[in-house]
Amino acid sequence: MAVLVDEGYQTHPTVQHRFFPYAQNGGTVVAVAGEDFSVVGCDTRLSEGYSILSRDVSKVRKMTKSGLLGCVGFHGDVLTLTKMLDAKMKQYKHTHGKDMSCEAMAQMLSSTLYYRRFFPYWVYNMVAGIDNNGKGCVFSYDPVGSYERETYRACGSASAIIQPLLDNQLGYKNQSNANPAPLTRDRVRTMVRDIFAAASERDIYTGDEVEISVIDANGIDTQRFPLRSD
Amino acid sequence: MAGMYTTHMHLPRMVDMKEKVAEFWQEEASLSQPRKHTLQPIVTGTSVLGIKCRDGVVVAADTLGSYGSLARFRDISRLMKVNDSTIIGGFGDYADFQFIMKLLEQQTIDDNVVGDGVYRDAPSIHNWLRCVLYNRRSKMNPLWNTIVVAGRDFAGKPYLGYVDKIGVSFTDKSVATGFGSYIAQPMMRKAMEENPNMSVEEAKRLMERCLKVLFYRDCRSLNRFQIGVVTETESSISDPISAETDWSIGANPSGYE
Amino acid sequence: MFQSRSEYDRGVNVFSPEGRIFQVEYAIEAIKLGSTAVGIQTKEGVCLAVERRITSPLMIPSSIEKIVEIDDHIGCAMSGLIADSRILIDHARVEAQSHWFTFNEKMSIESVTQSVSNLALSFGEYDRKSMSRPFGVAILMAGVDENGDSVLLHMDPSGTYLKYGAKAIGAGSEGAQATLEEQYHKSMTLDDGIKLCLNVLKQVMEEKISSTNIEVGVCRKSEEKPGKFHLLGKDAIDTLLTTL
Repeated sequence: MAVLVDEGYQTHPTVQHRFFPYAQNGGTVVAVAGEDFSVVGCDTRLSEGYSILSRDVSKVRKMTKSGLLGCVGFHGDVLTLTKMLDAKMKQYKHTHGKDMSCEAMAQMLSSTLYYRRFFPYWVYNMVAGIDNNGKGCVFSYDPVGSYERETYRACGSASAIIQPLLDNQLGYKNQSNANPAPLTRDRVRTMVRDIFAAASERDIYTGDEVEISVIDANGIDTQRFPLRSD
Repeated sequence: MAGMYTTHMHLPRMVDMKEKVAEFWQEEASLSQPRKHTLQPIVTGTSVLGIKCRDGVVVAADTLGSYGSLARFRDISRLMKVNDSTIIGGFGDYADFQFIMKLLEQQTIDDNVVGDGVYRDAPSIHNWLRCVLYNRRSKMNPLWNTIVVAGRDFAGKPYLGYVDKIGVSFTDKSVATGFGSYIAQPMMRKAMEENPNMSVEEAKRLMERCLKVLFYRDCRSLNRFQIGVVTETESSISDPISAETDWSIGANPSGYE
Repeated sequence: MFQSRSEYDRGVNVFSPEGRIFQVEYAIEAIKLGSTAVGIQTKEGVCLAVERRITSPLMIPSSIEKIVEIDDHIGCAMSGLIADSRILIDHARVEAQSHWFTFNEKMSIESVTQSVSNLALSFGEYDRKSMSRPFGVAILMAGVDENGDSVLLHMDPSGTYLKYGAKAIGAGSEGAQATLEEQYHKSMTLDDGIKLCLNVLKQVMEEKISSTNIEVGVCRKSEEKPGKFHLLGKDAIDTLLTTL
């Protein structure tokens, strides 16, 4: 990197700022799959550098009646990607006469991301909802479309501090007397809320409000809770 | 698919991409041909401020076009009335902003030619600008601006949007670009918290206060500015106003004021 | 009748004053020269059967293929200009795989047929590489969808496609369809459906029916999986023929 910059100065001594087509706008998504439900939480802060661009930007979208998509990373790509997906979902509905399942949406998102392998959408995605068998499902992605189905995952700016906590609390890792009890909606919702409150203490790119959605056979129930605003 | 401790197969990092972009320009430079892309802004405008209030939206910007540290053009307008529902304000490269204004002017003329009396509302102009700016950044040939879109939607509701040169876009109760995001934005947020139901007149006074503080602190600003207002019925931009300044306060400031 | 046709049957994209496109109608006529194909849909699955016309004893009967697999869960029988059908079949196969690639699910039989229909209708277009005339083939698309529904669809050269309980196409289709209408009922088992297919073929074929001069394809719904389409082997067909 340093070498490249030096060479740049040799050819063009006046160029100091190179155009960089991405920004890190922060944000964190957490998703947990239960037996017959799933939960997604996402903060509403939009940042750039040390500035808070906005305190109220929802980064979770409803894609189908039982599927949500959470996206964080570069907000310009988030907006473009989600618009593309919305269009693709509509086309699918028109050509095949049915709503897309979470599994189909998961695969389509992967392909969409991979088509831009060499100029990626800088977006960390998470699909959560109810699968074809009525079970809770979570799919997590990297920006170029590699994905897997999981039971819980944190992605975005605070992922590194949240994931180990989820491993411990939901994966029962490093617990000597683990007592895995089936997850309930309320327990997961409370846990996600606490996790965001904790993450916003340490990560400056997570804060303002957390939007938590519980998806089950009855539909999607969304609530908002305040977080640190500094 | 792998177990839970496996990381994803390929996690691209921000630094990878920075290298890629550096390589791209390396190649470009070696062609030793005239530059066709904006690599850095030349004549620049500084902060644009916008605030939503009870019965409209207020947007403000000073009239300076800087050439580096030189106050090159002291009487240029960085606010543009697009139509009766929308005013935009431009931050960054002034030539690029003039280009954008040209596009919007043509669009308004086209709307006029149709003659059905229907014009684009602020959300639609905001979205269109985002498409233009995002497409240009995707071609690695950006329009070096952050644009504030102030206006109302078809329902008559106040609308305030922000979009930058790489296509980051959002709406909020108050927005600020450049230096203003550090100095004016906290002032506007505080004022809105204390007075959530601000009138247009109060918002105008707030803008003047913010611009004055910016003039004291931002070396690329001027104490000559314009204020644009969009209400339920019309949109208008004021003639340039000169703020009175008092540099003697420099001895005992409180906060930024 | 012929007088009014005189000029309007030249172009493929010209309507006659009566509102007809003769080339499409002629293509539909071409199907009636083709060998008979029959399809039956039951709750347990679908079956297809076609006649192989063996015109010379030196011909190798197994080289006639008029039932093909589109995807694991879909088969297709055809009648008319078989060479034309190859283009449609290739297209259907690619579409089915591309759907699976993008959505990780099996493409529905109706969606496959819809995409084939789009191709079948794209004749006579100047702006891209396409057929200059209508495809002279009718197809029976049959299979079991991912949700467990068994489906039989018929598409003709006009690109029109419809769902059927039982359908016959080709030279013997009139007689065959009459028999199907008499004997088919919705609640019949798949085994009865296969037998009915063979009986209908036996009735309309000029040659004596045998395991060499027919093809049979079946897609049976199973508990766990959506069902797999397969062609019956010679032995299996022989066994079936003895029960007729």
